[in-house]
Amino acid sequence: MEEIRIGVYICWCGTNIANLVDVENVSKEIQDLPNVVISRDYKYMCSDPGQDLIVQDIKEHNLNRVVVAACSPRMHEITFRRALEKSGLNPYLFEMANIREHDSWVHTNRNEATKKATDLIAAAVARVKWHEPLEKRSVDVNPATLIIGGGISGISAALEIANSDKQVYLIEKTGVLGGLVSNIDLTYPYLNSAKQVIDHKIIAVMNHPNITVYLNTVIDQVHGYVGNFETTIHTSSKEIKLSFGSVIVATGLKPFDVKKVINYGYGKLFNVITSIEFEKVLKSGIIITRDGRVPKDIAIIHCAGSRNEDYNAYCSRTCCMTALKFINQIKSALPETNIYDIYSDMRAFGKGCEELYSITSKRNVMFLTFDHRVNLPQIRQASYQDTCNLLIEFKEKFSGESIEVPADIVILMVGMEAHDDAKQVAHAVGVSMDGNRFFIERHPKLDPVATTTDGVYVVGTCQSPKDIPDSVSQARAAAARILATIQSGSVNVEVTTSVVNEKICCGCQTCIKVCPYTAISFKEDEKVSFVNEILCKGCGTCGSACPTGAIKCKHFTDLQILSEIEGLMSLQEV
Amino acid sequence: MNQSPKIVAFLCNWCSYTGADLAGTSRMKYASNIRIIRIMCSGRVEPTFVLKAFKEGADGILICGCHPGDCHYHEGNYKCLRRFHLLQKYLVQMGIPIERLKLEWISASEGVEFAKLVNEFTETLKGLDPSQIKKTVETFS
Repeated sequence: MEEIRIGVYICWCGTNIANLVDVENVSKEIQDLPNVVISRDYKYMCSDPGQDLIVQDIKEHNLNRVVVAACSPRMHEITFRRALEKSGLNPYLFEMANIREHDSWVHTNRNEATKKATDLIAAAVARVKWHEPLEKRSVDVNPATLIIGGGISGISAALEIANSDKQVYLIEKTGVLGGLVSNIDLTYPYLNSAKQVIDHKIIAVMNHPNITVYLNTVIDQVHGYVGNFETTIHTSSKEIKLSFGSVIVATGLKPFDVKKVINYGYGKLFNVITSIEFEKVLKSGIIITRDGRVPKDIAIIHCAGSRNEDYNAYCSRTCCMTALKFINQIKSALPETNIYDIYSDMRAFGKGCEELYSITSKRNVMFLTFDHRVNLPQIRQASYQDTCNLLIEFKEKFSGESIEVPADIVILMVGMEAHDDAKQVAHAVGVSMDGNRFFIERHPKLDPVATTTDGVYVVGTCQSPKDIPDSVSQARAAAARILATIQSGSVNVEVTTSVVNEKICCGCQTCIKVCPYTAISFKEDEKVSFVNEILCKGCGTCGSACPTGAIKCKHFTDLQILSEIEGLMSLQEV
Repeated sequence: MNQSPKIVAFLCNWCSYTGADLAGTSRMKYASNIRIIRIMCSGRVEPTFVLKAFKEGADGILICGCHPGDCHYHEGNYKCLRRFHLLQKYLVQMGIPIERLKLEWISASEGVEFAKLVNEFTETLKGLDPSQIKKTVETFS
C-alpha cells in the first residue's frame, strides 16, 4: 500500500470559526497525528487563494489525502473536491470536518469548542486514510421533461422548455389550465388584467407541438434517477407510461379555509366573503352585496389564517397588496362607498408595491390596525336599527380603544396553504417538506429551485407563498437549469454505490429484500447477489443488512466509519 | 453522575444532518459533548457502529433519521427502527442501560428540536455513571 500523506486545512471562516475555536492550536495538535504531513489554518479556505493552497501543497508535499475543517460538507464539499481534481487527485480522497454549523455556531465555551474541533478533525484524518479513489460515471439524459401542475409556474416553465424544441409533458390535476391566476380579476401593483397575462399562455401551451397536456390526471410514484425517470400517469380514461429526464413540481397551493376562524362567522354570515370570492364579484363587473344591494360600507380584514400560531404562522405574502388592489378597484367603481382596511402590518415589498400603498393611502380610505395574534376582530349581524348589514368589533391597536366598524360586505384576505395532497406529491417525486408542508429547495439562497433529488425542481407557490413575478422567475430558472442539463447530453450519477464481493456473498438475498430501488438482483448461476450501479442510490441499507460483510458501500465502508469512530474518541481525555 | 458525557451521533445526510446544520445557521446553542458522524441514511447504521462507539468510550449514542414516511431513500428509516429494537434487546443482554442509546426523527427544518434533543439526552446521560464499557473491554482483552 502506498504511503498515506494527509494535508489538513483548518478554516477560520473569517471570525465565524476562529472566534470560538483556537484554530492555530488545533492545527498544531493535528500536525502530530500519524500520516499528517502538513496542517495549516487559513482565513477562508473556500476562497480562491485558499483552494490554491491545497493545490500547491498537493504538488509540493506529494499529498494523497486531504482534510478540510470548515463549514458543513453540504455547503462546500463540492468546492474542495474540485480543488483536488484540479491538482490531479481523485476527488473522493477528501474528507470534511464540520466545525462551523456543528461546532463554533452552536457552542459558547471556547475550550470545549476547540476540543470538539480537534476531535472532529482527528476523526476525519482517521477516516480519510481508508478513502479510495472512485471514478465518475455518467449516463445519457432523456431530453423530455415532466411538469406537474398547470398553473402560471408550470405553464411558464413548459413554454420555456418547449420553445427550445424539447418535449414537455404537462400534468394537471383539474380539468383546466391556469391555476389560481385564473381566479384573479386584476393583478397588483399596476392593475393589469390577469386574464391577459394567462389566457394567451394557455392557448400557446395547448397548441404547442412540443407540449403534451394531460388534464384531470394524477401521477404514480416516479422511478429512476436524473436523466432517466419514468412513471405512470392516470388520466380519466387510461393509464400512460412516460419516460423523461427531469421533473418540475409546480403544484401550487390552495386558499386557507377561513371557516376555521370562528370570529369571522364565514359561512354563517351572508356577506362575509373571502378575497377569492371577491375576485369573482369584481370579474362580474358589478359590486353588490349577496342580497343585491349597492354596499355603503365595505371592510377588508387582513391576515385571515396567516401569521397566527392557531392557523398558519407564516405570512402569505400576496394578501396585503391584493387588498390594496381591491381598494383601488372599489374606489373606481363606487366612489361614494366607505372603505375600512383593517390590517396588522402593511407588507408592501417588491417592485411597485410601496408606490401602490402610497397612492392608495391618499384615496380617502380608513386604515385601522388590529393585533393579528390575539383578540381577532369579531363580526356579527347588525340589528334592524343599524344602517349596515354587519358590525366588526375589535381593539384598534394604535388608539387602544375597542371600536365598531359598519360594513355591508366584509372581505377576508385569506392566506394560502399547501394542498392536502402535498405529501403524496412529495413522496411520488422524492422531495422533502417543511413544517408547513411546502417543498424544500436544495439551498434557500444559493440553489432555490433545485431539490436534494437531482433532476427534480420545485417552482412557484408549492415551495412557499409568492406572487406571479416570483413564480414565473422560478419557473424559468428551473427551465434554464433543465435545458442546460439536456444541452450537455449526459449527467453524472451517484458513484457512492454498493458493490458485492462475490467471494464472500452467501446468497441469502437479504440485501434484495431491503433494497428500496430494486437495484440488487440474484445471479442464479453463481448463487450470489449483484448490484445494478445505475439504479443504486447509495443509501447503504444493504450494507448494514448483509450478514457476511460481502457488500461494500463505497465511500461509507465499514472500515471508514469504524475508523472515524475510533478517531473521534482517540483524543478524549480519560 | 457524569458531568461531561460523551455522545456519538449518527445523522442521516438528508434530514437530520441538515437539521443539525440548521441549528448552526440559526445559532441555536446546545451542549458541546456531542460528536456527529454523517451517514447517507439511518438505514446504514449497523449495530456494529453503535457497539464500536460504546467500546471506544462513548457514554451515549444518538441515531437520527428522517421522520417516518419522509426518508430520502423511501424506507431506510424503517429498517433503522427495526434494527434499533433488536439492538435494544441486545444491549439489555449485555448489561448496557438502554437509556444510553437513543433513536429520534429530526427533519431538515427541525433545528430547534435537534438542539433540544441534544440537551435532553445530555441531561439523561448526566444522571448515569460514566460508561464502564471501554474499561471492561480493556480488562478482558
